[in-house]
Amino acid sequence: MTTLPQAIVRLGMAVPLAVGAALLILWPLVFSMAYDLRVFTLAGIYALLVIGYQFVFGHAGALALTQGAFFGLGAYVTGILGARYGFGFLLTFPLSLLLPVLLAALIAGPVLRLETHYFALATLGIAQVLLLLVLMAEPLTGGANGIPGVPGVEIFGNLVPRGLPMAIFIWAWVVAGALVARQLLRGLYGLAFHVMRDDPLLGVCIGLDISRMRLVAFLLSAAYAGAAGSLFVHTIRVVSPEALEFHVMVAVLAMAVVGGRTRVAGAILGAFLLVHLPEWFRVFEKSYLIVYGAILLAMIVLAPEGLVGALERWFPPQPAPVPPSEPLPRRAIALAEGPLLAVQGVEKSFGGVRALAAVSLVVRHREILGLIGPNGSGKTTLVNVVTGLVRPDAGMVRFGGTPVTAWHPDAIARRGLARSFQATHLVDALTALDNVAVARVPAEEMGLRRALLSRWHDPALARSRRHAMQLLNTMGIGEAAATRAGALPHGVRRRLEIARALALQPALLLLDEPAAGLSESEQIDLADRLAALRGGWRSPGLLPCSRPCCCSTSRRRV
Amino acid sequence: MLQVIVNGVALGAAYALLALGFVLILNATSAVNFAQGDLVMAGGLLAVALSTTWPVPGIVLLPLVLLVMALLGLGLSLVAYFPLKSRPPVAVFISTIAVGIMLQNTANALFGAEPRAGPPLLGGGVVEIGPVVLGRQALSIIVVAGLLIAAQYAVFQHTRLGRRLRATAQDREMAEALGIRVNRVIAGTFAFAAAYAGAAGLLLSNIFFVTPSDGSNYILKAYIAVVIGGWGSIGGALLGALLIALFEVVFPSLPLILPFLGGVPGAAWLFSQTMATILLYLALLAVLVARPQGLLGETVQRRA
Repeated sequence: MTTLPQAIVRLGMAVPLAVGAALLILWPLVFSMAYDLRVFTLAGIYALLVIGYQFVFGHAGALALTQGAFFGLGAYVTGILGARYGFGFLLTFPLSLLLPVLLAALIAGPVLRLETHYFALATLGIAQVLLLLVLMAEPLTGGANGIPGVPGVEIFGNLVPRGLPMAIFIWAWVVAGALVARQLLRGLYGLAFHVMRDDPLLGVCIGLDISRMRLVAFLLSAAYAGAAGSLFVHTIRVVSPEALEFHVMVAVLAMAVVGGRTRVAGAILGAFLLVHLPEWFRVFEKSYLIVYGAILLAMIVLAPEGLVGALERWFPPQPAPVPPSEPLPRRAIALAEGPLLAVQGVEKSFGGVRALAAVSLVVRHREILGLIGPNGSGKTTLVNVVTGLVRPDAGMVRFGGTPVTAWHPDAIARRGLARSFQATHLVDALTALDNVAVARVPAEEMGLRRALLSRWHDPALARSRRHAMQLLNTMGIGEAAATRAGALPHGVRRRLEIARALALQPALLLLDEPAAGLSESEQIDLADRLAALRGGWRSPGLLPCSRPCCCSTSRRRV
Repeated sequence: MLQVIVNGVALGAAYALLALGFVLILNATSAVNFAQGDLVMAGGLLAVALSTTWPVPGIVLLPLVLLVMALLGLGLSLVAYFPLKSRPPVAVFISTIAVGIMLQNTANALFGAEPRAGPPLLGGGVVEIGPVVLGRQALSIIVVAGLLIAAQYAVFQHTRLGRRLRATAQDREMAEALGIRVNRVIAGTFAFAAAYAGAAGLLLSNIFFVTPSDGSNYILKAYIAVVIGGWGSIGGALLGALLIALFEVVFPSLPLILPFLGGVPGAAWLFSQTMATILLYLALLAVLVARPQGLLGETVQRRA
């Protein structure tokens, strides 16, 4: 028999989520004064804005400071069309989504490839330009005074009244937005975002199209922000430059950090708490923003995963049961006759250090090739050049007859070239099983559309996990499936990397020092498994390796 | 014309102090201090507060402002940098945004949102050199900022402390291995950066006024200067600061300098301070797209 506390723990996050949802439904019934409802409505608008912000800030891991600008743009589209031209909700709302998305698409080209602070400050610059333009374009935007007299939400002649109906209307949009976000990210696609956020380098090497995923996240957050901006203007019935000012952005950022960056429940909790904060801290009067800053600072230092993340630590989700294994479907890769991989005269220098000087080699079909050299002789650099991570100064790499020298690394990986890393690259927070399953993203052709259209339990994720289980068994580490990768010993991590590379079903496998740090018995075991792979998988490998023992498996050495 | 350029150089000298602190923290910690702009504002308001109780020229207040701001910088590093130093740099970015909000709103609560004028540095009036008439304020800003920058250079090049700072900036782990107490050096860098930002605030407070919400504007200026000058290059940042300040001051007065521009339709709208700022931000984006290593910087190869 289980006691009540045990049962609660077994249910995991379901309990706090249900309690939270119940409180949220009760809230407007208890606090039903007009002013309370207005604040509650505002919390819903911010919740929608933060759910959108989580795509780019949480899932794509990029500190974008444009969310406030997209919000303001949506607000102005609705404000100008509604107040000046008398258009109704059914026309202004879609346009308020569309324009921020178009702006996001326009700036994505130059801005999205920037990293960390470059990205953050460039996006801040764009937001400031938008604010200044709105202030300057007074005939259209009303300048610093804005435009009053925006109509309420009217659908087919029915006006949504202020008060409870408007609050319900807004929160219905929050529920819709939350469901779409959940639908997109609960399956294999969400797993791909997790890897891309934690280790972008690994992401490209398992064939994830990272720039596309970043773009998708950026556009989605712009759409949510536009929707929130439009609803905001319909609620307060006036649009002014305040909607574009930096403090909106700061509020959104604080809500995402306080609630949690990647959980929809976190967005709602963060928005609810921080919108009500000024009400609860009336004693501070206007300086409640100081408290805002202090809370943001305290959260980022003490609980970087946010309140929902902290709750998940107390109510850990039950690990998914280990799935049965299932053989991977055969993958036919159309490759030309002749050598599988041909490297011709590749050169690469880093500053004054010549790492590779006129390296040429050929790997034939069904061949295991060992690459031996002392430390610093350029073995890893060669692997990086072949996989497209490093562009050579001169020379040519052909894979299956196709020149791939100028290709992006993710395209090379999808074409059938997988690698392992000298220093293991694993996502420590994910289980061993999911570390392998995520490499099935290219095979499942998982993308935005597929994630949106999949059923409630993503079948692609379940299938990928069964395939991953098969590969874990192949490498003899099936019992580690449910363990977090960060908790695994080194020998298992090495084999896990190879299992993940195999999940791509590559025509060629590049193993960068696969035996580094392994004991002698582990090395022999690994060599046997690789030899067995060659028989079963018809998958030849190039083994850069400085240890003679490992290379006993290779037929030819360079 | 000359007066406009001198004003531009004066603004640039103050921006240079700001950008200098920004780039020093960036080099030592590879983190962006987003509160740097709010530190300028804090220094300016500190000068305002001091001068209302004790009406003396700004130059007398300067040492006191430097000291108080250095302590503030030390506090900033303790709450916003050290607890997060093993986390990704973005965490520090967010924590300094948080400190910036706190500074801005504390200032708002204490002083109100209206612009305030600080004390003049040496007293007002003009200096006449032959036929040229120059504002004494602008000239004294240039001289004081120049002296502060020269002092920074001297400390960096010729003292043990400076060598430690430079070693930490170049390679933190190596510096630690050599027995340099890196944490102290970093705390010192924060103190130094805050002191110089405060000095910039004091210098600007008389001509340009101080408002609690100035911070985000200043941080973008520092950032643009650093991007133009090449990420991490001290000399580049100083030059970048000078360039953007000159542009900001000269652009709105173009119709005065070149009278035919005054006839362009919408000239008053086009040659405005706001338009100058917009153009500056757009130029920043163009630089980021075309030359991410900055106009003066060298290409840095990232290791895979």
